[in-house]
Amino acid sequence: MDFGGLLAGFAEALTWWNLLYCLIGVTVGMFVGVLPGLGPTTATALLIPMTFGLDPISAIIMLCGIYYGGMYGGTITSVLINTPGEAASAITCMDGYPLAKQGRAGVALSVAAVGSFIGGTISILGLALIAPALAEFALRFGPPEFFALMIFGLVMVIGLMGSSIIRGLISAFLGLTLALVGMDPVSGAMRFTFGEPFLVNGFDIVTIAMGLFGISELLIGMENLRNAEKPAEVGGLMPKKEELMPTAKSIGRGTVLGFLTGLIPGTSSTIPALLSYSLEQRLSKNPSRFGKGAVEGVAGPETANNSYVGAALVPLFTLGIPSSPTIAILLGAFIMHGLTPGPALFQNNPVFVWGIIASMFIGNVFLLIMNLPMARMWAKVAAIPPKLLYPMILIVTVLGAYTVSNSLWDVGVMLAFGVLGYFMKKLDIPLAPILLTFVLCQLMESSLMQSIKLFEGNLLNIFQRPISVIMLAISFLVLLFSVIAEVKNKKSKLAGDMEA
Amino acid sequence: MDKRKGKGRFGNAGVWAGIVLLIYASFMFWQSLSLGYYTQFGPGPGMFPRWLSGILIVISLLYLWQSARKFVFRAADIFPKGKDLWNMLSVFVSVLMFMLIVNLTGFVIAGTVMMFILLSRGYKWFMALPIALVTSVLLFLLFDKVFSIPLPVNTFGW
Repeated sequence: MDFGGLLAGFAEALTWWNLLYCLIGVTVGMFVGVLPGLGPTTATALLIPMTFGLDPISAIIMLCGIYYGGMYGGTITSVLINTPGEAASAITCMDGYPLAKQGRAGVALSVAAVGSFIGGTISILGLALIAPALAEFALRFGPPEFFALMIFGLVMVIGLMGSSIIRGLISAFLGLTLALVGMDPVSGAMRFTFGEPFLVNGFDIVTIAMGLFGISELLIGMENLRNAEKPAEVGGLMPKKEELMPTAKSIGRGTVLGFLTGLIPGTSSTIPALLSYSLEQRLSKNPSRFGKGAVEGVAGPETANNSYVGAALVPLFTLGIPSSPTIAILLGAFIMHGLTPGPALFQNNPVFVWGIIASMFIGNVFLLIMNLPMARMWAKVAAIPPKLLYPMILIVTVLGAYTVSNSLWDVGVMLAFGVLGYFMKKLDIPLAPILLTFVLCQLMESSLMQSIKLFEGNLLNIFQRPISVIMLAISFLVLLFSVIAEVKNKKSKLAGDMEA
Repeated sequence: MDKRKGKGRFGNAGVWAGIVLLIYASFMFWQSLSLGYYTQFGPGPGMFPRWLSGILIVISLLYLWQSARKFVFRAADIFPKGKDLWNMLSVFVSVLMFMLIVNLTGFVIAGTVMMFILLSRGYKWFMALPIALVTSVLLFLLFDKVFSIPLPVNTFGW
């Protein structure tokens, strides 16, 4: 690890204004994590236009804070009202809510907060250790390797997200074709613009994300417009003495599981949470306790989904590849602020990268404080009725879309994508691939075109490049196993649309 | 995952979605034919779109086959009815209404109307109206005065 770089990063992150933006980011993250109907993807997209006037480092510190803050916040509603604030906390309902009904909500929230802090902090440490070395390795990549990497990312997204490969493919290729609208990145020719000036620059990722994830969620939420359940009392925070050791072990296992899953592009924070729950249940001396209020059933998954977050930033920082929709939005924010995530980021902008990493350590401390002594305050936020919440989310979302380019065009595009997202959700077509491939398309096309030129038209020469061959071989195997799993109907275990 | 067979031929939402997808992919493919596939400098702007839309045509045909034979999504089962349907449609209607009137009335009135349409689904009008008005005014002040982001205004400047 580059300790000098990390220290310089801390010096940057500890300036009062960056501390303030970090605090704003994690608070907004907690807020959207607690509130159903507004996830971290929409919230990150919403705040991007408001960061245009900021320093890139302050802007990204704030936006990253929303991402990992959302993971903490989702736990509160899972435990107190049996409704996950975001997808990764869905499994926490299994034991968190029974604990709350036993008057032990405080215990569930405190082990989740401590586990999240440990998992989150260790994974950021892992990010600081692995990312520079991986970035140095990735500097050897040429266009064929990047094209193979894009194929790998695409296959992972299709293979791991959603319950059907065909439906995953639909979403992925919709994202790719939508990204073709506008100016061709290689020749500069206009494509699919139909003479419409609004289409020259293509669709904006912020608008698309707010429509697909924000408006579609509102449409579905309005279908089931009911008052929020009254949150359970928080109660005492300390677990029983005999629960301490099993909880500590489940936090340790969750940390490792979350970190390893986060390194794989195409996964989501829901996957390590589900795997951790299943692992804890198997390792338990008394598995029948699970589902009835087992503390390990909260500690393991909550640690795993927070540990996932730091690791999931490794592909973004080192290869420029987003592994989830929120990270795709972050990638968009990097580009809007004139930064290109990828192998050269550590070389060209070391203070920036290390500043972001350092701020995440600090943000986790903020979140621990917010979740332990202030858990009761967040419980009150969870009690806001949806009939009041949804109209407020809608007007803020519409304003956010309007501010992208100060025009109603973006509001209309957002609404159209909201309707598209609504139908996709109803038809069980995953939303995440559309956003990920939309972001990757330009790099994918450029690297393909450059490879074709390099190989003088014969793309089969890509198999002469060892790194490309390895990545294409892994992609093939993942696709093959996904098809086999689908045929055997096992994919539904990891199914479900995953936002964060 | 719903594996039930659809009773009505026209009630299969997956088939309809497959047809829409096929039309979209075919249109993109047709449009890509007007872009050069290969130029003297190398691959043209039409190469990538042609491949992507071509693959999407194949995927949509597979989806159509799957929707008709294997995973049937009956529209009647997955879409809401009655009050739930109107609640859902109110989001769509309120945003459309906002877009139609905002340049004429300014943000405060358009925002109030948009919120009022949604709030009136759950509150009496005398509760919904002040909540909508106060929220719109506060957001207008926040964006216009604090963030200095210009919002559409009427002749009175709000």
